[in-house]
Amino acid sequence: MAAPRSNREFIEACIKSGDAVRIKQEVDWENEAGAIVRRACELAAPAPFMERIKDYPGFSYFGAPLSTYRRMAISLGMDPAASLPEIGKEYLKRTNGEPVPPVLVDKKDAPCKENILKGADVDLCKLPVPLVHEGDGGRYVGTWHAVVTKHPVRGDVNWGMYRQMMFDSRTMSGAVFPFSDLGKALNDYYLPRGESCPFATAIGLSPLAAMAACAPSPIPEPDLVGMLAGEPARLVKCETNDLEVPADAEIILEGEICPDYKVEEGPFGEYTGYRTSPREFRVTFRVNCITFRNNATMTISNMGVPQDEGQLLRSFSLGLELEKLLKSQGIPVTGVYMHPRSTHHMMIVGVKPTYSGIAQQIAQLAFGSKLGPWFHMVMVVDDKTDIYNWDEVYHAFCTRCHPANGIHVYKNTTGTPLYPFATPHERKYSIGSKVLFDCLWPVDWDPVNDVPTLVSFKNVYPQAIQDKVLANWTAYGYPPVK
Amino acid sequence: MNQWEVFVNDVKELAEDTDLELTIRTLNPGLHKFTYKRVKCQVSTNLKKHVDQLQVRLGRGQLSNNRFSIQVLDEVQRMPAKYL
Ligand SMILES: Cc1cc2nc3c(=O)[nH]c(=O)nc-3n(C[C@H](O)[C@H](O)[C@H](O)COP(=O)(O)O)c2cc1C
Repeated sequence: MAAPRSNREFIEACIKSGDAVRIKQEVDWENEAGAIVRRACELAAPAPFMERIKDYPGFSYFGAPLSTYRRMAISLGMDPAASLPEIGKEYLKRTNGEPVPPVLVDKKDAPCKENILKGADVDLCKLPVPLVHEGDGGRYVGTWHAVVTKHPVRGDVNWGMYRQMMFDSRTMSGAVFPFSDLGKALNDYYLPRGESCPFATAIGLSPLAAMAACAPSPIPEPDLVGMLAGEPARLVKCETNDLEVPADAEIILEGEICPDYKVEEGPFGEYTGYRTSPREFRVTFRVNCITFRNNATMTISNMGVPQDEGQLLRSFSLGLELEKLLKSQGIPVTGVYMHPRSTHHMMIVGVKPTYSGIAQQIAQLAFGSKLGPWFHMVMVVDDKTDIYNWDEVYHAFCTRCHPANGIHVYKNTTGTPLYPFATPHERKYSIGSKVLFDCLWPVDWDPVNDVPTLVSFKNVYPQAIQDKVLANWTAYGYPPVK
Repeated sequence: MNQWEVFVNDVKELAEDTDLELTIRTLNPGLHKFTYKRVKCQVSTNLKKHVDQLQVRLGRGQLSNNRFSIQVLDEVQRMPAKYL
């Protein structure tokens, strides 16, 4: 099965496999669509493809695009039943290869140019921008999208998924944090010079383009999409600036980021499962042109309690990118995993404990990396603990993490305004703090006399006895184990 | 009559019968519902004092029980002219 090349191909594939449903009755853009997506996330139900939207004939919504591992497998062209470790292995294989640069296509071959609004015709309210949650600070244009920019000096292209709220018909305000690639480019270059930064927001992307936009990978996102898809991404030039956008996207907004003007953004339902970050004056986007496909589909990710893309996909890519980083440093990690239910706050790292201080080294690399602001707990377990099995990890944590020697707190790190436990002051200034749970047996313990023996069926009985018991299990009178 | 909404951290920010500058959003039905304007206005807890009505949300989106009537005196253009 090939990876879907567009949001449309993805919807079709999901409907075919039973991973999306067509909703034919009219749905209200105010709260109702959001509530459907939220419930689908909380039930891990098929993604809703809402074909009729109140007030917006000709438009549709696709919600919860990647909030299940099944849909993630489909997006990669894999069997929907693929297991998480299999999906992870495939992601690592594809993203460790050679970059696959995008190709530029002609405007006539770019469906996103089927309708073009410029000048006085530009009005974001012509798009079915949803009110995702009751009480949000606004209707959110960008919840599952890519904000495309280019570094003015280095020339590298950045696609980032930074939420964007509609402030008025031509203005959006977005949560672009200073440690993100766009935040750095703004602080580095545009803000000090008072120059506006050209941007394009692409909505209704192929699922792999969206995955790339929220992956914390150092590879430029257009190349990363090509690597993930196994073929070059198709891009087309914008109408009003030099940027290039995915030709098959459903909706494109072009404009400039204002260096000298900010409007309020938020509050908004967030991936932690709360509305935490304060309403603030945030990065402000002025829209100069809108292009969209006929019968355009707007994509909606609805952040809240697990599990939505915020937890599932971000846990997946943050974990795998950390695994790559640690391996690049020669650390003998056996795997890295974030349970989506931790709302990507806890990194679980499996490692062969071959030298002392290895857990601290892992934590310092993890927290000090570009990925660091997005999680505050690292738990290091040994290579015999199954990092995907929370029962095993929790057992290791509760039995091996020394309360005085195994817990290391790092203060005054980079945080985000989104941490629910952070004080109001910490949220305002993105001040973080982090903790390492070292669940490894110390290397200076005698492995024979000091390290406790794990008492489990698999660990204490000779293989011959295990085999005998397994072979006779039903004969003993037990039902078969699935 | 127009319906408006404002976000504040504390309802005390809405001093009555004095000129205020607020960012308010329209709750009038239609395509532009929830879009914002910056305005000079006066508010009152006497719901009959002004024709337009204002409801209030707090820091994390909670709807406040406090209701006001509002008179929009002027629109304030904060955005630099070059972007208009
Ligand atoms: C649905 C969704 C919404 C997100 N919203 C934001 C956001 O508003 N601001 C932000 O900085 N990151 C947000 N992220 C995380 C970024 O997409 C992620 O950090 C990405 O790597 C950004 O790229 P950069 O850090 O390389 O700039 C979101 C992720 C997802 C899945």
